[in-house]
Amino acid sequence: MGEVTREKLESLKSGALSIVENVHRSLDRIEKMNRDINAFIEINKDALARAEKIEKKIKHGGKAGKLCGLTIGVKSNINVMGLRATCASRTLEDYVSTYNADVIKRILSEDAIIIGMNNMDEFACGSSGETSAFGPTDNPAALGHIPGGSSSGSAAAVAAGMCDLSLGTDTGGSIRNPASHCGIVGLKPTYGLVPRQGLIDLAMSLDQIGPLSPDVYGAALLLEVIAGRNENECITLDVDKISYTDGIDEGVEGVRIGTSSKFRELTDPAVMEVIDKAIARLEGLGAEIVEVDLPNLEKGLTSYYLIVSVEFFSATRKFDGRKYGKRIEDVCGDEVLRRILRGGLISKKEYRGKYYQRALQVRTLIRRELMDALKRVDVIAGPTVPKLPHRLGTKLTPMEIYAYDYLTIPANLAGICGGVVKAGEVKGIPVGLQIQGPMLGEKDVLRVMRAFEASR
Amino acid sequence: MKVLIGFEVHQQLMTNQKLFCECPTNYQDVAPNTNICPICTGMPGSKPLPPNEQATNSAIEIALMLDCKVIANQPIFIQRKHYDYPDLPNGYQRTSLPIAKDGFLEGVRIREVHLEEDPGQYDPTAGVVDFNRCGVPLVEIVTEPDMHSPEEARKFLRRLVRVLEYSGKVRPEAGGAMRVDTNISIEGGGRVEVKNINSVKGAYRAIKFELIRQKSKLERGEQVIRETRAFLESQKITVPMRVKELEEDYRYIPDPDIYPIIIDQSQIERIRAKMVEAPHIREKRLMEQYGIGMESASVIASERELADLFEAVASEVDPKFAATWFRTKLKKVLNYMKIRAAEIKFTKMQLVDLLKMITNKEITPEQGEIVLRIMAKKPEDPRKLISRLKIVPLSEKEIESAINEAINENKKAVEDYLKGREEALNFLAGNVMKITGGKADPREIIKKLRKRLDLIQRGESPK
Repeated sequence: MGEVTREKLESLKSGALSIVENVHRSLDRIEKMNRDINAFIEINKDALARAEKIEKKIKHGGKAGKLCGLTIGVKSNINVMGLRATCASRTLEDYVSTYNADVIKRILSEDAIIIGMNNMDEFACGSSGETSAFGPTDNPAALGHIPGGSSSGSAAAVAAGMCDLSLGTDTGGSIRNPASHCGIVGLKPTYGLVPRQGLIDLAMSLDQIGPLSPDVYGAALLLEVIAGRNENECITLDVDKISYTDGIDEGVEGVRIGTSSKFRELTDPAVMEVIDKAIARLEGLGAEIVEVDLPNLEKGLTSYYLIVSVEFFSATRKFDGRKYGKRIEDVCGDEVLRRILRGGLISKKEYRGKYYQRALQVRTLIRRELMDALKRVDVIAGPTVPKLPHRLGTKLTPMEIYAYDYLTIPANLAGICGGVVKAGEVKGIPVGLQIQGPMLGEKDVLRVMRAFEASR
Repeated sequence: MKVLIGFEVHQQLMTNQKLFCECPTNYQDVAPNTNICPICTGMPGSKPLPPNEQATNSAIEIALMLDCKVIANQPIFIQRKHYDYPDLPNGYQRTSLPIAKDGFLEGVRIREVHLEEDPGQYDPTAGVVDFNRCGVPLVEIVTEPDMHSPEEARKFLRRLVRVLEYSGKVRPEAGGAMRVDTNISIEGGGRVEVKNINSVKGAYRAIKFELIRQKSKLERGEQVIRETRAFLESQKITVPMRVKELEEDYRYIPDPDIYPIIIDQSQIERIRAKMVEAPHIREKRLMEQYGIGMESASVIASERELADLFEAVASEVDPKFAATWFRTKLKKVLNYMKIRAAEIKFTKMQLVDLLKMITNKEITPEQGEIVLRIMAKKPEDPRKLISRLKIVPLSEKEIESAINEAINENKKAVEDYLKGREEALNFLAGNVMKITGGKADPREIIKKLRKRLDLIQRGESPK
């Protein structure tokens, strides 16, 4: 299992599969399936021309980049020059990017082909893929169910084979949650590892761009291309380029993997059963399983929604109706409006101490708790989403929707990394195993994910 | 009635690049919306670069000149101050927490010094915004309410402007570079804040108006409410700001996209070692070191370049003589010709030569002034200038003969003087000046005239 990307790349590099043909395949697949899945909201008309150009370059002896002709879907909150970065919102429905985000510059320089812009929850505010102004996305791995969110289109596109890899963003689980529901691989990198320059904000202190892929190798490869110090922004970790694909197959012999009883408390037993089996399998592969204490984990949820709302309120002040079409409050969906109003309220002078400051204190508490646990183990393994995805169109209260995020939020609050790989299924619906690692622990996380994937 | 007045002063810092991006700062020299990029126009997804170090260092230097304690070795967060206005592309302005505190200038305590970004320029009539200025760094200086009259406030503000100019770290041109908010309260009344002031003169007028307004309210037994008012430059009055502007809550949050500034002690010491001596300190030193009076020292220290020139000259000629000359003649010529000390083109040695010629009585001080005027226009060796213009002091003989001529032709004035009318002497001296074509030293003439007339008085004939 898990050889799709590696094999695809080899045939592209060897010429066994032409880059133009690869783009045709993606476009055909999108043509055939997108009407039902709704994973893309804009197709890049220049994709074929670019494929021809790269092919020509390689034919004339030019060096093939690391992503050599792979087709990439991009979440609609990342600026790609000439394409629309709508954030799946009416506010930005006509906003055409005037510049490339730094991750886009990086993937283009490695010969990636951007195939189009993915659907998403509006402004990344959602965990179901249903809040897009361009309609909900279906789950190709469990039709009729939500694909998860907010990187709904990016996950569904990969799951449906419409593109080879995709870029999503993760603020409280928005890569890991849909990766889990769609049965693919997703990774939220350490905060500050991947440039955010050009990413339209949900919450600046939590947002991180990361890869979605059918397999662990693809995620590692895409991460390798986008990660590393960025001179072009303030908040960046001083990290040199690292190869995440190197050593990915080293296995889990002797790796210390933490689990927590807290996960069981918060998770649907059917989901937990799949996870228990997965962890048992890792133990069987030679990993040492260690119980770690995460007593305050669930407190992250409230703290998260307060912090997100305040930062989101601030970030959306520029959508004032003067420069980018319509004023956000006038045209946005309920969840976006709810967060703006909440953020505007709790950042007021009289409420700051009561809500925002306390939320920041809880954040510090969660960070410490996870850091302490990760001193005792190499990674922590557990479920990604506490319950199975609901059927599209089911009415849920905001709190019920928020509850999808219990297990993914802590990694964002702590700034650590976390990846998801398919653990198994419950009644045909995928369930993802989440592997969380310390800051800059991506190599270990990917290695554990790969060991699990390879053993299936 | 006890009056309390304080200020918040904003001034643009002189840097090459904006505070959070690499766009140039010469916003007045270029066509609208040309010095811009995704960062300073707040395009969706753009993130700031780290704060411009040149701006931070400039603010630190100014803070040190104001005798502030710079906040060392702890995080100084950049805050987002949210408000909705067309000139603000992000919907918030970035402003730092204090980078320095507890300073002192001329009897006024400086509460704190901040760093912020300037918004763009909105033209409400045309409905257009120019973002060239957006992101230009500002230093904000907040004082304690330590001034007690409009005059005191004006004096302080002038002194503060002088410190800022001295630092060489602020944008010199007047073009709206300085912005002042002031708060005024009278014992028994609420604190009133006045915004929208653009000059020292404006601040003086706004405060004067406010004191009259508040005093008459209190005298009538009415209340002075705590409020924010706007100064209307054209009418020289203050008016209440719209209620909406008052209710504004800026919802400050630390900007998550920027690491806090951390200033380390060695950085402060490096700046301190090279920093410009503050004008009020220099003024005192000039008085002590050169034994000159307060009035001269104050004139000399009014501009940094003038003080530099003085100190260069004072090592070559008698400092007291030089000081008097700077205060009277040099300042007069500069004012008259509307040139700033920084724009002086003649060299220190040319000025030294000129002053030496005067002290050696090769030329009179009046002739010196004429030479200076020409030198200020077009620098030249004063000695050459004198010979070219044929400026030479008259010989004793020529002066004597001119005096004789004046006395002989103005018998009436002579009689008047002898009867005790002092003004007649001035008349006669004027006559002598006319006869000599202005080449004689008037003080010398008066001295000689008086001596001669006294001789006549005593019935002695001239020798």
